[in-house]
Amino acid sequence: MIDITSLSKTYGEQTVLDIDQLHIPTGQTFGLVGNNGAGKTTLFSLMLDLIAPTTGTITNNNIVVQKSEDWKIHTAAFLDENFLIGYLTPEEYFVFIGGLRGIKKEVVHTALESYAAFFHGEVLGQKKYIRDLSKGNQKKVGIVGSLLSNTPLVILDEPFANLDPTTQIRLKNLLKDEASATGKTFLISSHDLQHVTEVSDRIVVLNKGKVVRDEKTSTDTLQELEAFFREQL
Amino acid sequence: MLKHFLYLQWKSFTRGAGFATGLAQKILMGFARIYFAAIFASLAFAAFLGVQEELGEDPLPFVSGYLLYAFAFWIVLRYFLQKMPTVHIQPLLVLPISKKRIVRFGLLKTVVSFFNISNLFFFVPFGIILIQQDYNWLGVIGWWIAIGSIILTTNFLNIMLNSVDRILIQVAVLLLGLFALQYFEVFDLTAWTSPLFMAAYDQPLFSLIPLVLLGLTYQWSFTHFKNKLMLDEGTIKPKAEAHRGSDLDWLDRFGRMAIFLRNDIRLIIRNKRARMAVWMGVGFLFYGLIFMSDIYSGSAMTVFAGIFVSGGFLFGFGQYVPSWDSSYYPLMMSQNITYKEYLASKWWLVVVGTLVGVVLSSFYLYFGVDMYLAILAGGVYNLGINAHLVLLSGAYTRIPIDLTANNKAFGDKRSFNLKTILLSVPKLAVPMFLYYVGVLIQSKSFGLILVALTGILGFAFRNLVFGWIEKIYQEEKHKTLQAYKQKNA
Repeated sequence: MIDITSLSKTYGEQTVLDIDQLHIPTGQTFGLVGNNGAGKTTLFSLMLDLIAPTTGTITNNNIVVQKSEDWKIHTAAFLDENFLIGYLTPEEYFVFIGGLRGIKKEVVHTALESYAAFFHGEVLGQKKYIRDLSKGNQKKVGIVGSLLSNTPLVILDEPFANLDPTTQIRLKNLLKDEASATGKTFLISSHDLQHVTEVSDRIVVLNKGKVVRDEKTSTDTLQELEAFFREQL
Repeated sequence: MLKHFLYLQWKSFTRGAGFATGLAQKILMGFARIYFAAIFASLAFAAFLGVQEELGEDPLPFVSGYLLYAFAFWIVLRYFLQKMPTVHIQPLLVLPISKKRIVRFGLLKTVVSFFNISNLFFFVPFGIILIQQDYNWLGVIGWWIAIGSIILTTNFLNIMLNSVDRILIQVAVLLLGLFALQYFEVFDLTAWTSPLFMAAYDQPLFSLIPLVLLGLTYQWSFTHFKNKLMLDEGTIKPKAEAHRGSDLDWLDRFGRMAIFLRNDIRLIIRNKRARMAVWMGVGFLFYGLIFMSDIYSGSAMTVFAGIFVSGGFLFGFGQYVPSWDSSYYPLMMSQNITYKEYLASKWWLVVVGTLVGVVLSSFYLYFGVDMYLAILAGGVYNLGINAHLVLLSGAYTRIPIDLTANNKAFGDKRSFNLKTILLSVPKLAVPMFLYYVGVLIQSKSFGLILVALTGILGFAFRNLVFGWIEKIYQEEKHKTLQAYKQKNA
């Protein structure tokens, strides 16, 4: 799905990201972990061509992201609140997002029903604009928006942050279900080691812009990760 | 304490998005200000000598009589042009700074506005001439204090107008009422106001009255904001708005474009700042009335008016594409949207706005065909050339618009300011020049035809120009995204 070759991003003197090779196969749930400033959001922003790389390339489904815009057709992402349109209601936002993917309004509404539990009765049918929702509910809207798009690739930056404990558990189940049912490729970053190891097939640890660990998740992964981050103290 | 506030102010200025373009504009604005200051100063001499020698009247009562008009005009101008300074209040609230100081700083910042300072350039020289001409110097000082107080009173009044819609309506009704009384000669207001200001000259102690008035207005706006300095009062964070706007299903016939048009229409309905752009468009429909007088007949100014009458929406809204979408630009850039679609929907919106303007302005036919022909020519030029130009300049504007700032007390709600006017200059100068050339070569009608033909030519090359603009947007994409990140600049 994603192929990264000698990718780097430098601001002035400081190299914030430097990845020699990284391959993410189709259907994998890919967990990205690292402290603040490790380069997680930078990597996702580069994948979405929101910032330009200093060197190297990213291909998404054999399309060089920096050269053609065709990757947009099969990619959905939610990085932060800048991916939400504040003056729309959640329903209108979903219809907008769906419309861009050629999904009819009625289909969007039917699909939303399956997310009713995830929203916990706080988002839909409120006649409220997204800008007036709480941070947590905004996050729910963004996540569902990117899932609704029905794209083979979904990129989520820290989806667990700001969510209440119940919703965090629901999100874990949701991601696992979607991955197994549809074979979507998920790229997920998180500070919550437990959640991310639970949903991911593979964990990559970034530290100061470099890949320092890269392994398939097993029963020991959580402990190893905790040990790794303890060493950073 | 003031030192700290100024420090924050300076940092937010130098670290804001597009500091470089901001600086260039500020320098340009600086020149514009010097120009106006010079005009005001020379006006002072003209007012004195002209009135004394040409009209043979005493200049002081004469000027005093017309001050009412000046102040009324000033209030209107202020409301539309004076930018409300933005103070970033929220982080300050929990720091050991009293609320009084925060509000006081916000209010005092408005005092150093061009709209206050520029008056000095008229009244100071005028007063000095008076003193030199052996007018009572104490009286002149009283007169100064009275006028200065009233100017500052309008300053604080304007802040309230910006913040409370109810007061805006009341003042608008009052001003219109006074204007009507004067216009229909029910009674002559200037006969009243001249003695009013002369009183401050004859007995300087009377100048205390406007001074007290100033104090009261200041206190009024001060208490208003101090009491509202709570997170849930709408001063800092906007209040949740009631849901408005329907499904807009009728747009579906436009196919894929409907997805974007629907958003843009909701953008306009639901955000005060975008709504202002539409109201500016409506306001400019009447702009041509100013140029109905015979002095302008056939001059290039009619084309100037024609461009504005049909293009109010184009300038108010189109000028800020794509800034309207700045708060969710990363979304737009990662969804499967091509720039072509995105730009085309904005283009259509601007085109429809312009067409509506042309149709609505048909009431000018009542005054004769000349003005309406200029509006038609201007409209065609707007459609063919300016609609593209606003999109093009949008690629470089890169000023993030914080749509949620719409209800903030110290927020900037104006979608139309001096900057927009400056950006409009190239869009206005060319058609005026074309018209002028046409008149020189043949006749007025030929001038208008030349303007309209240029518009049609632009229309013909639409696809070519669009491809070109698209490429520029593409090239500027990362810079634009970067600039939009700095929201509170």
